[in-house]
Amino acid sequence: MAHDWQPDFEQLVDEHQSMVFSLALRMTGDRGLAEEIAQDVFLELDRHLGKIESAAHVCFWLRRVAMSRSADALRRRRVRGLDLWVEVEEHHGMRIAERTSPLGARLEQLLETLPEQQRAALVLRYQEDLTPEEIAATLDTPVATVKSHLQRGLKLLRAKATSHLKEYIREKEYAGGV
Amino acid sequence: MEFEPIEEFEKELRQTFERRPAPPSLKRRLMERRRVNDPRRNAFPWQRIAAALVLTAMLGGGVAWYQQEEQRKGEAARQQVLTALRITNHALDHMNTQLAAHRHAHNQGESR
Repeated sequence: MAHDWQPDFEQLVDEHQSMVFSLALRMTGDRGLAEEIAQDVFLELDRHLGKIESAAHVCFWLRRVAMSRSADALRRRRVRGLDLWVEVEEHHGMRIAERTSPLGARLEQLLETLPEQQRAALVLRYQEDLTPEEIAATLDTPVATVKSHLQRGLKLLRAKATSHLKEYIREKEYAGGV
Repeated sequence: MEFEPIEEFEKELRQTFERRPAPPSLKRRLMERRRVNDPRRNAFPWQRIAAALVLTAMLGGGVAWYQQEEQRKGEAARQQVLTALRITNHALDHMNTQLAAHRHAHNQGESR
């Protein structure tokens, strides 16, 4: 069916670059890699622009491809044997800490210690505010699996955050005492 | 110490996981890669003009060479015809001379 939607590529980049970059950044934990993934995703969008039917479709398409390309990048890095999380701790974590509260920065770091599928579900849930059904469609996964990843991921992250919070308060009290 | 209730923790997550602004270099590099990947966008007008000029020059050169070659063949053919005419003329002159000599000898014989 023919569609009237006539998108402007540059305008789409302006509108969605933050979303695509943030998804890739939270999935890979590497700013350089996230930027590269975001560029690849938009170049792919440019090639498929004729098949995109609406503004909602472009958003769905970008999320889906960004998540898929991020997963591919993580797989490639695992194959090459690079310890991504060491870099995350050293680079990404520090940069985030400059911009957010200590707890927020720690939550970002803790998110990256979760299993990939749980991380993907949580990022789409709390960054993009998607429902489990929408997440399932984006990741091409059954809804029940997504719900399970969300529950387990949230529980694990909460436990880790609580542990960190205790440590943080202890440090504050110690610093106040000194 | 725990995040209580879970809604509070989810609220904290939503705040923490806000979208981050993309680096300014992202769009610049992306547009550059897009331009390089697409030869239609890559070709500047002057490149197209240069390509058209080269093509025109090649076509013009081809036509000129063809015309020159045709002229050369025509000239060679003309020279061949002239040579043939010269040879024929020479042969006819020679034959006339022989006929005249023969006729002269014949006339002398009869007069005796």
